[in-house]
Amino acid sequence: MVVLTSLFLAFSAMVVGLLFMGIGRKVTARLQRRYGPPFWQSYIDVIKCFSRNSISHSYIQDLGSMMGLAGLIAAAMFVPIAGWLPFPSASPIIVILYLMPIGYLGMAMGVSASGNPLAAIGIGRALTLMLGYEVPYAILLLTFIASSNTSSLAVLSDLQTGGIGNWFAVKMPIGFIASIICLQAMLAEKPFDTMIAPAEIASGPMVELSGKFLGMAFLQHAVAIFIETGLIVNMYLGGGATVLSFVFKQFLLYTFAMAVNGIYGRYRVEQAVKFLWIFAGSLAVIQLLINIF
Amino acid sequence: MDSMMAFSELTELTRNDKYVQYELFFGPNFPGMHGNFGYILDVAGSTITKVRPNPGLLHRGFEKLMEQKLWLQNLSLIPRICVPDPDPNEVAYCSAVEKIMGIDIPERAKFIRTITLELSRITSLLMGMGALGAMMGHYTVMYRMMQDRDRVLDMFEWLTGARVYHIYNTIGGVSRDLPEGWIEKTEAVLDELEGNIPEWDKLLFDNPVIHTRLTGIGPLTEEEAVQYGIVGPSLRASGSTADVRKDDPYAAYPYLDFEIPRTGGGDALNRAIQVRLEFAESIKLVKKALHMIPEGDFKIKLGNSLKLIVPKGDAYARVESSKGEYGYYIVSNGGVKPYRVSVRGPSLPGGLALCHKHLPGMLIDDVAIWMASFAVCPPDFDR
Repeated sequence: MVVLTSLFLAFSAMVVGLLFMGIGRKVTARLQRRYGPPFWQSYIDVIKCFSRNSISHSYIQDLGSMMGLAGLIAAAMFVPIAGWLPFPSASPIIVILYLMPIGYLGMAMGVSASGNPLAAIGIGRALTLMLGYEVPYAILLLTFIASSNTSSLAVLSDLQTGGIGNWFAVKMPIGFIASIICLQAMLAEKPFDTMIAPAEIASGPMVELSGKFLGMAFLQHAVAIFIETGLIVNMYLGGGATVLSFVFKQFLLYTFAMAVNGIYGRYRVEQAVKFLWIFAGSLAVIQLLINIF
Repeated sequence: MDSMMAFSELTELTRNDKYVQYELFFGPNFPGMHGNFGYILDVAGSTITKVRPNPGLLHRGFEKLMEQKLWLQNLSLIPRICVPDPDPNEVAYCSAVEKIMGIDIPERAKFIRTITLELSRITSLLMGMGALGAMMGHYTVMYRMMQDRDRVLDMFEWLTGARVYHIYNTIGGVSRDLPEGWIEKTEAVLDELEGNIPEWDKLLFDNPVIHTRLTGIGPLTEEEAVQYGIVGPSLRASGSTADVRKDDPYAAYPYLDFEIPRTGGGDALNRAIQVRLEFAESIKLVKKALHMIPEGDFKIKLGNSLKLIVPKGDAYARVESSKGEYGYYIVSNGGVKPYRVSVRGPSLPGGLALCHKHLPGMLIDDVAIWMASFAVCPPDFDR
């Protein structure tokens, strides 16, 4: 049963993530006064990618691609959806944040195996950007752990039941803003999408991906969207009374990120890290100090 | 300790390592490149160490082709030299031929030429500003500006029958008069464009991310700009006021009162702001010209166009395009075809010469932005 529910959650994370991606493309198109593709376009893209021949540069690419998706799916297993988890666990945030980079490192290993310098630069930028958003994010987690005496996402979610007034977004607004900034970077949306800058590095990590590898990259991004928005919903927006309300809150967060994505240009990677450390970092520290004193 | 490699030596070794240094073909097939042109960049990590422009891929032999076609047949060829801003080619070519022939076109034709030139400038500036945004990933600006550009192209289509290659200016004037209602509709479109400027300011020119990104890229003093032969908005962004429309007025510009904006500062941000200011000024200029169009002929009758003979002589005519001075030097030996035509494109100094000064030491992140800020249009020099 645990195996079945785990598989169901992995599949659901992909389905929901791809749905968000499709709607995000529509939102971006409308901001740009275009009609845009249908919201199910991302499903079609993935199916099409998996139906095509793929070029593998080495077994490292095969392994990295699998590791990337597996790492993220493993992280998704610990994100409570309206209090539900595929198997009994306390959904520790530390474990989620430990498993997520495995996905990114898998991706890094896979695309670097192609030998294309643009892919390597893209990965270098992605890992540099991680330094930018993980520092303020870690400070925020410390804030939660210090003030709530728990590192369990499920417990944090439970602490917010009883109305919007109990949400940490209301109780810790500065930390919430810092988290939203970090979320924008985690989702790799503008102004932080330095790793996939087409005009600079020809889409970076994706430059040598074809067929199934590109499909896997889409799925990785879909699962990453599910996890990253899910973390914020559980930490700040009270989790969700039902699965539908949980996904709806995730959707609102993602749509907001896409709206911001539509009105900004792109920072260079060092500018992005500087911005994250100065603004998100300062807000996180302020929230930590407020909670301590 | 002696056997251990010093840290500085290790750093040097890393720099020379074949995995760190590589050759990057920035074009012709690269998302950040405009047109079929490319820079071959030697890159260490993300920093450019050497640049080699790689023109020739777009060469179509325009100047030689023009020697083989009749004087008027060339009018269908020359707008294709610069796709975003085709009309300066038409006017410069016609003006040079008219100089050799010693004819003065009717006043009405002068105004219509000025209007088409400025409308063409507006479409090109919109495309340029949109492209600059797109190079920084700000595609919203690009799509919306292209939508505005389409509105102007609608007016061109109504006037000339074509959206991009208008082939409207001809030797002796323009090929047809303004259609009824065109002036009023054009004014309405210009009002709409003017009304959108605050939106462009919010999205692009006052956007803090864009400011951070553009500041300090490709700095150029006025002296350096003159030394390299940089023209147009890029020169004026360095502090100069040089503008062919003021310095050597042609068409109806002597009758029109207009300002040449000047920013100074000379980096990519100043060049972007300069383009924005010139865009607003061009809208005002077209509005003034539309109100001042005199009645009269729109063209001098020159007889059978297939038998048009231009007397022996040579002339150079120049116009101010959206990218700067666009010049045509034409030599006639008194026949039905030009003896020699030479085109001076405004992108040449920036695209082929200044790149050697600016690109080494720059990060590959900024190459596309640098090109867009100098409005490098490869067909200008790769004809």
